[in-house]
Amino acid sequence: MSKALSLKLFLFSLLFFPLTAVSQQITGTVTDGTNNQPLPGANVVVKGTSTGTTSDFDGNYIVNVSDYPVTLQFSLLGFESQEVVVEAAATVNVTLQESTTALSEVVITGLATSIKRSNAANSVSSISAEKLTGTTPPTTLDGALYGKFTGAIVSANSGAPGGGLSVKMRGITSIAGNSQPLYIVDGVYIDNSSIAAGLNTVSGAAAGGSASNQDNPTNRIADINPDDIENIEILKGASAAAIYGSRASAGVVIITTKRGKRGDTKINLTQSVGFTKAINLLGLRDYNEQRVEDSFGVDAVADFIDARDNGRLIDYEDELFGENGFINNTSISASGGGETTTFYAGISHLDEEGIVKRTGYEKTSIRLNLGQRITDNIKLDINSNYIRSSSDRGFFNNDNTGTTIGVSLTSTTPWLDLFPVNGVYPDNPTGASNVLQTRDLVTNNEKNSRFITGGSLNANLYKGEKSDLKLIVKAGLDTYTFVTRAIFPKILQFENPDNGGVGGVSAQGTTRVFNTNYSAFMVHNYTTDSDLNFRTQLGVTKENFDRDGILVTATGLVSGQTNLNLAANRNTVQNRLKQNDLGFFVQEELNYQDKFIATVGVRGDKSTNNVDVNKLFYYPKASLAVNVNNLGFWESEKINQLKLRVAYGEAGNFPFFGANTTIYTNTTIDGLSGITLVGQLGNEDIGPERQKELELGFDVGALNNRIGLEFTYYKKKVDDLIIQSSIEPSSGFTSKVVNVGNLENKGVEIALNATPYETDDFSWNTNVSYFKNQSEITKLNVPAFNTGAFGATLGTFRIEEGKSATQIVGISPDGVVVHGDAEADFQMSFQNSLRYKNFNLSFLFHWKKGGDNINLTSLLTDLNGTSHDYDTVDLDPAGAVGNGPYRLSQLGVSAAPFVEDASYLRLREIGLYYNFTDEVLKNILGGHLESIRVGFSGTNLINIFDYNSYDPEVSNFGSGGISTGVEVTPFPSSKRLMFNLSVGL
Amino acid sequence: MKKLNKILMIGGLGLLAFSSCTLDEVGDLNGPTIENIIESSTRGDIQDLVGGVLNDMRIRLGTYYDDVGVIGREYYRFSSSDPRFTSDLLGKGAATLDNNTFYTTGPWGARYGTVKSANVILQAIPNTTPTYSAQELSAIQGFAKTIQAYELMLNLNLMYQNGIRVDVSDPQNLGPFLGYTESLGAISTLLDDAATDLSAGGSAFPFNMTDGFVDFNTPTTFREFNRGLAARVAMYEGDSAGVLSALGESFFDLAGDLNKGVYYEYSSNGGDLFNPMFFPENASTAGVRIVQPSFITDAETNDARVPNKTFLRDAPLTLDDLTGSYDVFRYETNVSSIPMIRNEELILLYAEANMVSNPGDAETAINVVRNAAGLGDVAPGSVDEDRIVYERRYSLYAEGHRWVDMRRFDRLSELPIDRVDDDVWVQFPIPATENQ
Repeated sequence: MSKALSLKLFLFSLLFFPLTAVSQQITGTVTDGTNNQPLPGANVVVKGTSTGTTSDFDGNYIVNVSDYPVTLQFSLLGFESQEVVVEAAATVNVTLQESTTALSEVVITGLATSIKRSNAANSVSSISAEKLTGTTPPTTLDGALYGKFTGAIVSANSGAPGGGLSVKMRGITSIAGNSQPLYIVDGVYIDNSSIAAGLNTVSGAAAGGSASNQDNPTNRIADINPDDIENIEILKGASAAAIYGSRASAGVVIITTKRGKRGDTKINLTQSVGFTKAINLLGLRDYNEQRVEDSFGVDAVADFIDARDNGRLIDYEDELFGENGFINNTSISASGGGETTTFYAGISHLDEEGIVKRTGYEKTSIRLNLGQRITDNIKLDINSNYIRSSSDRGFFNNDNTGTTIGVSLTSTTPWLDLFPVNGVYPDNPTGASNVLQTRDLVTNNEKNSRFITGGSLNANLYKGEKSDLKLIVKAGLDTYTFVTRAIFPKILQFENPDNGGVGGVSAQGTTRVFNTNYSAFMVHNYTTDSDLNFRTQLGVTKENFDRDGILVTATGLVSGQTNLNLAANRNTVQNRLKQNDLGFFVQEELNYQDKFIATVGVRGDKSTNNVDVNKLFYYPKASLAVNVNNLGFWESEKINQLKLRVAYGEAGNFPFFGANTTIYTNTTIDGLSGITLVGQLGNEDIGPERQKELELGFDVGALNNRIGLEFTYYKKKVDDLIIQSSIEPSSGFTSKVVNVGNLENKGVEIALNATPYETDDFSWNTNVSYFKNQSEITKLNVPAFNTGAFGATLGTFRIEEGKSATQIVGISPDGVVVHGDAEADFQMSFQNSLRYKNFNLSFLFHWKKGGDNINLTSLLTDLNGTSHDYDTVDLDPAGAVGNGPYRLSQLGVSAAPFVEDASYLRLREIGLYYNFTDEVLKNILGGHLESIRVGFSGTNLINIFDYNSYDPEVSNFGSGGISTGVEVTPFPSSKRLMFNLSVGL
Repeated sequence: MKKLNKILMIGGLGLLAFSSCTLDEVGDLNGPTIENIIESSTRGDIQDLVGGVLNDMRIRLGTYYDDVGVIGREYYRFSSSDPRFTSDLLGKGAATLDNNTFYTTGPWGARYGTVKSANVILQAIPNTTPTYSAQELSAIQGFAKTIQAYELMLNLNLMYQNGIRVDVSDPQNLGPFLGYTESLGAISTLLDDAATDLSAGGSAFPFNMTDGFVDFNTPTTFREFNRGLAARVAMYEGDSAGVLSALGESFFDLAGDLNKGVYYEYSSNGGDLFNPMFFPENASTAGVRIVQPSFITDAETNDARVPNKTFLRDAPLTLDDLTGSYDVFRYETNVSSIPMIRNEELILLYAEANMVSNPGDAETAINVVRNAAGLGDVAPGSVDEDRIVYERRYSLYAEGHRWVDMRRFDRLSELPIDRVDDDVWVQFPIPATENQ
């Protein structure tokens, strides 16, 4: 009998013999093996048919079966599937175990739907709470992502506490536009701005012609508390992220926070304490009389001898960066639920000192997630999060005034005595600032007060045997008030009017952000008689962004006061940003018996950032996955999955706010107000960037998924690249925002996960991933241009047709040549977790091979004769002069000494834990404790690199555009060592 | 079922509301657009544009003075954070001037920024409400063109034989680079046009200027400033007769205050700028300007211009193999005004223009300047090029002349070389972004 016929007979029997049917029901309860609670939403399908149901909120199910014996398949995302052979109508209770292998996870493929990973046509990376925070407590969310996703490069901009990270997926996706991914937490679009604190007023860093912000602010995704997160999923390119349309070109990070489960309230308390310490200090130059005389003149020799003979040579680097910062991290969460309501509540407090005195990071986060079953078919979820964070970041990075601690340190020699006497700091006789005074008196604080809330309503409008219809409505709000305070008291050497200072600076900024997003979807499921499943979704989305920032910079502070009204002079800058986007989305998924899974969809978006605000831009997608192992001609004991997949998608990046207008800003001269052009020529023809990505790959699961291999090749083209093109300055403008050309990224991602050994006492799970990316500017309508650093003399990025988008060029005796490339040759990560009885050891190595930085720190120390390797002879090919003189001799001749290999191998995370046994727990506190876990963990404990500074992972210009990896006297990065205790009640 | 209906209704309404949505333009929230300014300005807006022009003239001026002052070996510009002031500008070792670095592109772009701002004024004034009278239009044009000519001249000083663009009114369609002589001619013509406009400009400008123009704030007196500039340009052209005729209509005054002139103004008001050429005494390597030692050693004894413009440091300072004991101390405070042109220069121009034809007049003029510096008269009949070069060096120290002077006298080879492989540059390369 053909399947179709048997199905018809079955339907026939249902219609005409209802009584018989009832008597042939299988009923039962599905239970969660981890907590023995009922498991709602589990799929129960009669194998080989489309007959099936899902378990209700109490885990109960009923299936009608006409013909015995049958095999029932029980499955649920995140759980191991189970098959049970049933001989006759009966009660069948099943317990599903949480899955340990990646292939049975679900991934989100639509704005309102998800799909089994084994059916996904994209390589979608996802990690669970365990992998995110289980090894060691991270400082910030993005800091927890290091090395954990293939194809995603996470790097810190500096070691300053409180974050400041850049996340890049599958290479450079934009040169001037947004290059950071879109973050979505429980459906709420999360603002990830970096807002400058106005330090530039003092540092003058941008005065050298570099328009980039070198204030090194944090980025606001740091606010999200990693402890609350259940799962993170990364859509790396347009082929997966097309559904997010015009905001998805740099990838999408989808975050799901923890939710309560029905049952007893569970309480978890985690306490971590530890310290942070610089990973690598450079040390002092090996001074002697002759060297001091050569570099600092005859007059300095006596000071040097005096200090040396009295043991007063001071290592100011160690003085500044040698602190051990104390870390204290507490979090408590409770979750549970009753008949209709479930909840998760968490509160956490993080208090972390930096390796420089008076720097640190403090964050308190409170979360309440509520789920409410309104009826059997309607569910409402509301997630709310309040965050208060404060970071003190010190005064670092580039300057043009010799005032930042970093730059000033380069000219601070060890025989200087800069320590305060009775609270009075002596002026540094050889520099513009006394580093100790700057450290002790300058305030650079960022405070954020943020509220994020989102709600979603899921309603089953219709549920039948063959089809169902769901409505999903979501709304989200992300609002914060961000306050910066940069205070430079009048008493500072460089603020003192006697030294030409302006009498103190108080720069205070307030930025208000109010972003909202709304969406509504209908999802329709229909399964034909031949087991072809159609899932149709249709929805509309709306996002509003509103930002208003005011920065007041006051100079001439009166008697130690920092209030703006108590200063002699004030300057106010207001910057507003408003963007409204509107979009729709249609997607059709076809699934033929889990054998062929095809998807087509299109997103349409319009935005007020476009010249024509009501013009719709369309972003299509299509994908196909074939589970070869399900096709029937394949029977292998060893290989249990083989999936071939191909996906194509497009995504966009709208021009930034104000790209199409030429505007004036205000000026004042001698009491006469005026207006002046801002230097950017508006472009009425500016269009969005468009990314087109094709992804091919295969997944193999072997030995019952104990070994999994994912291989992906992608080719990602970005058309109509938006850049702030330099235009002829004689036009009176310096730049114009234009669509100039195309860029292509090609890459390979390979992930291997395996459980080589597994017994009751010992198990070993390992993940190895490898990825590489190569970019090329395939078309450029403007002449090649330099961007993103300090000019060809010192090495600069250069956008040039036919060349890598991240090439670093510079002068040389043969003219301007390529000295390097910021793109790594490849990256690898090795994640391992081992369990022996009650001990758990997990660690993550991250290896970046190749990729160059522009390192100007050593140049600055060379110029001041203070480089630690000034007299070491290993750079000069002639072997004649020390590294310092050699590098200096190349200044203006070749940029080669400033372009350095930034490879590294580091132990990103390691954690060793002991879980108390049940026998022990029984005897503690009357047996009320469910679990106790204790252990040590660390971050960046091993760092191997041959790079002449603190850390090859650095960025003077923050996360924007391509100019990461430029170093100018940053805040040194640090390692962390923690003791953790976790108690479950 | 009731609840379900409610949900259905909400969802349906939501979908309906979305689909009927259109977006309204947001516009630029952060400033007026150039189109608005050109097409519909008020007289008050023109005042703001003038204020903007006067402000723009100061942008990157410090870099300009460093460029010409360091290459002209007037002083060293130390910087602990940027090595290029002591390497590229002085031609250390094999270092050369980069065509895509701030010292080339910064001042160049800023001067053209002023030219653009002045062009917008010229475009906007016919369309204002209420309208301007013909006299007022003429006065504004004379002002705008004079400023443009001055700004172009500064850029030409940097580029010399590489030339500049003169016609830059349309950003999409820029005029060609003209050679040095042609550029000078164009600047001269622009100044003459402006002078004609100013003559027809009535008795008052329909806008206010800063205190830097306190003696030159009517079309008539502003024209004297214009003619002063014309005299300088004529001297660059080697046209002594032209110098003298322009001086005749300028504020040149042998008996007058040497410091009378037109100035850039600075203040500590919020949003205003500080004098970029003010340097505190005994400043550190972070940003100090150290007098090139020969300025001290070459001076005649008791030349008051040396102590007036320099300061003996408590201790010498060394950076990058350059050492000096004197700070540049040309300005007293960080809000002191910087001259664009002043009577002392006009007197020196007068001396130079008369050097061959009327040596007596040249001598008189030179003695005015010398006496003011506490020095005695020159020996009769001794005013020659050396004398002009010396007096200009000390009278106009750190005001952006030395390098230009030595170049036009073809004496760049006489400038001191501090380190064996240093070079004295003749001119700056055309900025890379000009796409030449």
